[in-house]
Amino acid sequence: MENTIIKLEKINKSYQKGKTSLHILKDIDLQVERGEFVAILGPSGSGKSTLMNIIGCMDVFDTGKYYLNGIDISKQKDKEFTGIRNKEIGFIFQKYHLISTYTVLQNIVMPLLMRGMGFAEATEQCMDTIKMLGLEERLEHKPAELSGGQQQRVAIARALVGEPALLLADEPTGALDTSSGAEVLKLFNRLHNMGHTIVMITHDLEVAKSAKRIVRIIDGELHEDEKG
Amino acid sequence: MKKREILRLVALNLLQNKFKVVLTSVGIIIGAATIVMVIAIGRGGQEKVAEQFKNLNAGAIDISYEEATENKTEDAKMGNGNFGGNQNMPGGKPDSSQKNGTDNKSNQNGKSAMGENGSAPFGFGESARGGNSNDKNRMNQDKIVLSEEDVEDIETFVPDISSVSISYTTKTTVDGGELEEETSYTVAGVTSIYAEISNLNLQVGEFLTKEEEENKEKVCILGATVAKEIFGDAVSAYDSTLYIGGRAYTVNGVLKEIGSVSSGISADDAIFVPYSTGVKYITGENISPTITVIAENLNDLETTIENIETVLAESYPNAEFTITDAGSKMEAASASNDTLTTLLFAMAFIVFIVGGIGIMNVLFVSIKERTKEIGILKAIGCMKQDILLEFLLEACFISVLGGALGVLVSLGITPIVKMANIPVSLSIAGMLTAMVFAFVTGVTFGFYPAWKASCLVPVDALSEE
Repeated sequence: MENTIIKLEKINKSYQKGKTSLHILKDIDLQVERGEFVAILGPSGSGKSTLMNIIGCMDVFDTGKYYLNGIDISKQKDKEFTGIRNKEIGFIFQKYHLISTYTVLQNIVMPLLMRGMGFAEATEQCMDTIKMLGLEERLEHKPAELSGGQQQRVAIARALVGEPALLLADEPTGALDTSSGAEVLKLFNRLHNMGHTIVMITHDLEVAKSAKRIVRIIDGELHEDEKG
Repeated sequence: MKKREILRLVALNLLQNKFKVVLTSVGIIIGAATIVMVIAIGRGGQEKVAEQFKNLNAGAIDISYEEATENKTEDAKMGNGNFGGNQNMPGGKPDSSQKNGTDNKSNQNGKSAMGENGSAPFGFGESARGGNSNDKNRMNQDKIVLSEEDVEDIETFVPDISSVSISYTTKTTVDGGELEEETSYTVAGVTSIYAEISNLNLQVGEFLTKEEEENKEKVCILGATVAKEIFGDAVSAYDSTLYIGGRAYTVNGVLKEIGSVSSGISADDAIFVPYSTGVKYITGENISPTITVIAENLNDLETTIENIETVLAESYPNAEFTITDAGSKMEAASASNDTLTTLLFAMAFIVFIVGGIGIMNVLFVSIKERTKEIGILKAIGCMKQDILLEFLLEACFISVLGGALGVLVSLGITPIVKMANIPVSLSIAGMLTAMVFAFVTGVTFGFYPAWKASCLVPVDALSEE
């Protein structure tokens, strides 16, 4: 089993805006080991979302090397990206990104259905995670019937059921009130203690402090790497 | 992703948008109903044509004569025509004495020539017609009444024919039976072989005989509807007495119902009398008979018609006869029905295209609405082909549902269309065609939106508000 989950080497990414080229990520080097809980901290426009999209295999980089759980991402094609996202990464978004027309259970099992599992089998496999997150009573509810904290727990359950190598969270408390946010961060620490590798993107230092390691990104460059 | 799970998602999405699904399928409902009705009306038309012509012998050739109307007054003033001798005689040459006239001399010569030449294609005819046809203005200015002698001429000189008959119709008053007052009916003067060439069968009795015709006997055969109207039923009508034009006729038989027209006569609604009896007691010589020739060789009706024209030209050099063959009538009716069906089909096709564009629009709107959902699915690992399939199946389901509802609508409106006297014949093939069209429309117009959905970039789709 590969011990290094993320290995970024000299990653560069630019966007063309009219005639101007915006250099968003500049020679990014980052290594995340299995079981680490890392916060990528940066202000708005620093390039942290672009970095998250690249780590999450939702965007491509211009130059450099990226290995995710030992897979050389630069050599993968679009179709393979989809498979990698499904198997290696569990996404937790700021706005939860649950499918509003599906029930809680239907949302949670989706990553397993995409792997070719039947609904019954997927439901069975999800039950431990559902119990761990205290969602048993909410399975037939629609996302709109849940509080923000509960919706984020559903999103975390969806990210966990596929047993991915990496949990990638983008501002996971950004849309939550303080107590719900604290609850989610507590849950992240619990998952970290269970051995999950978590990379959390945030602009909030207080939130970042709940991680064991903080990586600061300013103007597309990694400026600091503090071990907590 | 398993196909079953994709279908489950499709069902989930459709069930949560029932109203939108039904509205989207309206175009397809109309298209499918149109297709079913077009095919049903086409079939109905074909069946009606077949019904109308079922008793018509395909080899039947009808010959009639129409006098040029603008010359009638002039002719009346003149009293005698320029050709054919005595115009007061029926048909220009029914009187054997006329055979001594100039015109009939050449006629006789022609017949001799024909006899000598055997099966030669009426070489005499060319000269006879050519000699007289240079004055087109004089065509059909004479009053001509086709006669039994013309029937004999055709029987004698036209090869490849099996039988020839002559008939006419007139309207005259009838009394008797259960009629409370004199009523006008169509009376047809026919020869004894009319029943055979028109495929008429009798419920009771026997058709008119040659003897009755020769003896000008006052006997008649009733059409099925006439028998019912006058006597209540066929059995009561048989051997009863019927008063036609004030004279008593014995009912010798009643025809089976045929529901079609033969040689211009609607048999169900007519009273048939021997040809000569009718001329003697009902019409006098004031008739416009039709000669019906049954050709043996259906593949060469043109030659038979040419031969008939040649024979008639011998007797009536300045006359042009109206000659129609049943095959051409059938073909014309069938072709007209086919044209109508094609037009209606084109209309249905256009409706389907409009319906398909409707589906495409709704799918594009749906994709716009569900962009974030697609982004989520792609972010968590849904394959491009699974999204393509999901949206395509949704489009297909909407179309097939529309097709099925369209078929149901067509079943509902069929009785209304029938009430408007439009022949309709629903068929399973028509319904299946509509369903296939609906499905193809769904696939065709659903593919592009589905493909666009599958190509969405997850980052862009997720950032969509």
